[in-house]
Amino acid sequence: MHFLAASIESLGAKLAGWFTIGYGTFAFLTKASLLLLDRTTWNHATFDVVIKQVYFTAVQILHVFLGYSLVIAWLIISIILSTARDFGLTAFASEMTIRVLVLELLPFLTALFIALRSGSAINTEVALMQVNNELDALAHCKVPPMQFEFLPRLVGGVISVVLLAGLAGLSALLLAYLSIYGASIAGFEPFTHTMAKIFDFRIVAGLLVKCALFGLAVTLIPLTAGLETPKKHFMVPVSVLRGMMRVFFAIVAIEVVSLALKYI
Amino acid sequence: MNKLHFKVGLFAAASLLLGALFIAYLLYARGFFENTYRLQLAASSADGVAPGVPLVFSGIEIGSVTTLGLNDYGGIVIQVELLERNAKWLKQDSTFTLDKPLVGGAKIRIDSFNPDAPALPDNSTMLLLTSDISKEIPVLVERVKAILANVEHLTRKDGEINTTLANVQTVTGRMTGEYGMLEGVLGSPEKARAVTDSLDKTRALITRLDGLALKMDGMAAKTDQWLFARNGMADLSRESLAQVKLMLDDAQSSLKKADALMANAVEISANVKEGTQDIAKLRAEIDDAVRQASALVKEINKKWPFARNPEVKLP
Amino acid sequence: MAGVAALSDGVARVALELPLRANLSALDNIALIPLYQRHYGISESTRQAQAILDQLGHAEIAPLRDPDMTPAQRFVAKLARALILKRPRLVIDRPGAMLYDVPYPEFIQQLAAQDAMSGIWEIFDFSWNRNLYNQALLSE
Repeated sequence: MHFLAASIESLGAKLAGWFTIGYGTFAFLTKASLLLLDRTTWNHATFDVVIKQVYFTAVQILHVFLGYSLVIAWLIISIILSTARDFGLTAFASEMTIRVLVLELLPFLTALFIALRSGSAINTEVALMQVNNELDALAHCKVPPMQFEFLPRLVGGVISVVLLAGLAGLSALLLAYLSIYGASIAGFEPFTHTMAKIFDFRIVAGLLVKCALFGLAVTLIPLTAGLETPKKHFMVPVSVLRGMMRVFFAIVAIEVVSLALKYI
Repeated sequence: MNKLHFKVGLFAAASLLLGALFIAYLLYARGFFENTYRLQLAASSADGVAPGVPLVFSGIEIGSVTTLGLNDYGGIVIQVELLERNAKWLKQDSTFTLDKPLVGGAKIRIDSFNPDAPALPDNSTMLLLTSDISKEIPVLVERVKAILANVEHLTRKDGEINTTLANVQTVTGRMTGEYGMLEGVLGSPEKARAVTDSLDKTRALITRLDGLALKMDGMAAKTDQWLFARNGMADLSRESLAQVKLMLDDAQSSLKKADALMANAVEISANVKEGTQDIAKLRAEIDDAVRQASALVKEINKKWPFARNPEVKLP
Repeated sequence: MAGVAALSDGVARVALELPLRANLSALDNIALIPLYQRHYGISESTRQAQAILDQLGHAEIAPLRDPDMTPAQRFVAKLARALILKRPRLVIDRPGAMLYDVPYPEFIQQLAAQDAMSGIWEIFDFSWNRNLYNQALLSE
């Protein structure tokens, strides 16, 4: 009996914990969005930090990222094409390639890439700022950390994931065309038709929203996880661990929901 | 100059440019810059047709079904949309057939037979034919079987062909037994050689035919060889073989029909990778039919008068 | 002493537990305040920050980040940040904790003696350090 009560209590504690985290995250997001609409936020300085964030999140790793996404795209395209040929389903190969790569796999991998690289960095930095009292110092100086530390990271993350996923998708499309039709314009008509069939307004908007949500997830969650850190240095790794766990769950959840909305 | 800002600016500008180009391309692909061409198809049944069913011309999708509904008289009206650039393939004598393959979704096939025919005007109404292959397969197999049985009947042991062939055998036996007679009948040694050559060729062809008959898709080629064999025979002695020729013609046309049907069946089954029970059964039936055909060919080969004549001496 | 942290908004504090932003240079740390509080442009904010450092006689620390500074330089940067807040009171909270490698009463006095400095700097320190200040005042 006691055991049962204890497990129910721990379940309740867990639920309450998750609720607090979720509430904190969304409250933070609301605050950030409201600030985003504030005209005074958009001064030169904020732009400057956003540009820096985009540079560190996207531009600095662009060549590595594109190389990596091209290799993956090439592999997947080859696999799909040869399988389609074996089963006599070549007619569906290009559509399959585009759906798998451009709509699902590449945005997902982009989000993971940015989460591992920038999300973990953001989480650590914010946790250290919290532990080192830097945020208190900023508060004392009446410098809102939201505007110059957090909001630019959110905006930069969203911009970076959307642009990187877009670039990866476009290069994968080019690669798919070259793999299927070779370096000739003969396949332009059927390819265009397939594209028209796949990319209706709903799909394009859905893709953009999904990428934006990915970008938000890989920056917002590490930010809030960092801010939750207790003021003890040894809690920094724990904070990063928790934050990255949540990021992973959030990315998977976004992907699953988008798939469900698309195909169910 | 701030290098960091320059790089970010370059990145953003390039991405936005590519994105804009892509959006423009998508708009072009979806026909934003051109008119949509509409067409109504009248059908007896809307079974298998749904919005999104593609319109296929020569294996390439050019449009799709948008809506379907009933008209005032209870007939099915299927609305089809395609881009203007694809509408040029539609002619007034084009046929629209609803294809429901065993594997893959239904599609509306467009066949335009005469490229010079006048173009189909916008908003015209056409008839949608149905070809439900899955329903036709058993019928098809039954027909192949019937034809093969017929051919078998023609070539049965005491059948007309055999009797005639036996006749021929005696005639040619006589001819080849007296070497000069062949020459005499034909007039010159050159002609005799031509005959023996064609005999050899015929024999080789028949052997090959035998092997080919085992393969399903070899059926089409066989028809040609039959024709060739017939010519060889006709050259040899027109009069005595006229009857055989007639009968063989009969058998051949039967087989030709069987060929066409088989080819059709092969086409259907080629896309199927040992799927359902039905398909396995179909295959078994086709195999059976082919075995019958090949047995028949073998029998003809055995009875063939000249194939068993090693005595022909060349001048 | 505990009351220092609870001082009102009218007080600019220089304290150990109010560190500089670690990944910004001293100049950027100071320039943040005109930039985000008074919405000056970047160049104007930077100019104001540099002016304060010049007035304190420590223009050379402008490009340094927190880990690269000596305790004295870090103190100067924090002091400059407190000055640019332009609040009525300026409190230096336990300078000994921040200036552990220099005789700090003299050091603070030197800074305060710069021409452009005005107003009163209040120093909160432990009572047992009182002698240090007396010596500094006597030696002048």
